[in-house]
Amino acid sequence: MGDTRRFSFGHASSSSIFASQALLQESLKDKSIEQAVNASSLPGLVEAVMVMPDMHQGYGFPIGGVAATDPETGVISPGGIGYDINCGVRLMSSRIMLDEVEGWLPDLADALNRYCPSGVGVASDLKLSKEELADACVKGSRWAIGKGFASEEDIEYTEGKGCLAGADPDKVSQRAMERGRNQLGTLGGGNHFIEVDLITDVFDENAARVMGLYRGDLAVQIHTGSRGFGHQICTDYVRRLQSAVNKFGIKLPDKQLVCAPISSAEGQDYIGAMRCGANYAFLNRQLLADKVRQAFESVLAGKVDYWQLKQVYDIAHNIGKFEEHLVQGESKTVCVHRKGATRAFGPYSEDLPDKYQEIGQPVLVPGSMGTSSWVLTGTETSMKRSFGSSCHGAGRVMSRSQAKRRVWGEDLIKQLAQDGIEVRAGSLPGLAEESPQAYKNVDMVVESVVGAGIAKKVAVLRPIVVIKG
Amino acid sequence: MAFHGYEEVEHTADVALRVWSEDFPGLLSQAAKGLYELTDIDSDTNSTVNRCFFIPSGNYENEIVDFLNELLFFLEEKSEIYRKFSFFERQDKLEVHAEGCKALSQDRYIKAVTFHDLNIEESDLGLEVVITFDV
Repeated sequence: MGDTRRFSFGHASSSSIFASQALLQESLKDKSIEQAVNASSLPGLVEAVMVMPDMHQGYGFPIGGVAATDPETGVISPGGIGYDINCGVRLMSSRIMLDEVEGWLPDLADALNRYCPSGVGVASDLKLSKEELADACVKGSRWAIGKGFASEEDIEYTEGKGCLAGADPDKVSQRAMERGRNQLGTLGGGNHFIEVDLITDVFDENAARVMGLYRGDLAVQIHTGSRGFGHQICTDYVRRLQSAVNKFGIKLPDKQLVCAPISSAEGQDYIGAMRCGANYAFLNRQLLADKVRQAFESVLAGKVDYWQLKQVYDIAHNIGKFEEHLVQGESKTVCVHRKGATRAFGPYSEDLPDKYQEIGQPVLVPGSMGTSSWVLTGTETSMKRSFGSSCHGAGRVMSRSQAKRRVWGEDLIKQLAQDGIEVRAGSLPGLAEESPQAYKNVDMVVESVVGAGIAKKVAVLRPIVVIKG
Repeated sequence: MAFHGYEEVEHTADVALRVWSEDFPGLLSQAAKGLYELTDIDSDTNSTVNRCFFIPSGNYENEIVDFLNELLFFLEEKSEIYRKFSFFERQDKLEVHAEGCKALSQDRYIKAVTFHDLNIEESDLGLEVVITFDV
């Protein structure tokens, strides 16, 4: 079950790993733990760098890493947040039973594929002016309200209400603005997906009921981020901060860990730009959610009584945020970097909607394609042990080239069809890279975080329609 | 080992390339070839495109990352891939003349070129580097 190991290799801080013995053994096969140790050299860490059980090798930071720094003495690191700023997951519930729509699933898959632009180089039907994009970056999800793409309920059930305050479009490069203008409302490629799921198991009836999740009903997950806009922001600042580390005399074991003091002009500029990327991603998932609803309406209206989709929650897993946490027994504002880790606030935390005050924040943990996903909740223990953070997915164990050598995209589609999963994919090699064999067992990841007390099980979702870019 | 070339290096989540060449311009050209192979592009070989762009001068590591990020940008925004490069040292920048063709489609999206463990090393054959890409 869940265990915490502490490693220290003479750096300024140390690393704590949440993992079962088996997952820890798996993680020792790549550089994820070495990367966690490297990340512990960042100046101003208030506690150990935490690593979640879905950890795997990234670049600079490990995927699954959580690092909290002191706003006065610490740094902000773009690499600790990632290129896909605010990559995250949205979950929507329905009262649609599987047997009501089973015959319509191929049509639903086609409609989702048609309504939701996906794949490499696919542009949005929305092309914003520079001024409109700057406005969208400041408002986040709320930008969609005035345009009819969102409801107040959607905003209420999004982390931070879909907007980080303090976004500053003036700190975003022209190139990032150019890349961002026609990508809002697009899924992208890689591991991003839209999934229709069947709720197969409920472990916490009360929490599931509060979220509107019932066994036998369908739900929808959307996994995407800030697209080329966020990638460019991170690229710009990782490059710019290469010289900042020299200016501030910061010594790092890896150039990708570049950072700047939070209080410096360089640090503040990155924070202003990063928040634009985060708000863009919240809005991107909101616009996709609107397209998913249109797809459901186009296929199911008139065929089932209730085809509507209600927002359960939208959560980031690549982000940097200033939050209040207990540090050595005292409440303190810290800058929490989450890179492939999900916020998992416990009951009665700030920023939780009233509805979730008693059960804690919904934590969305997608599995690999074709395997189950989990809905969890944050706990009091996650607030004490992991800066209110938990795992974000299954975590890779196999490289992309290995996966492509072992799996053919066509064979995978047939296999998934035999398992009752309709797949629409823009790229067969890309699909092979994302095959379930390339990932850890998400159930083992969940058992680890539940065993460590940093999350509680609520429900299990099994995919029945998968849209991949 | 050939005088210049590239090969994919195993990486759990992302993709990485080992690139080597006798000199720095050769290293840039080989890295570009490797990058395009990773993105699995279908190109219109009947088309011709030419582009000139500039890279700020600095150390080799910064220049190779800037160069490859420029190629990713022109691939995404202009659907252009380049097969032939000429490099000219200017006062505070590297001037790049690139010739190639239009990209029709690509199977893999590369988000960015990272600085992760990036060290250009001198060897008996010239220069060698491992570059990690975020996908």
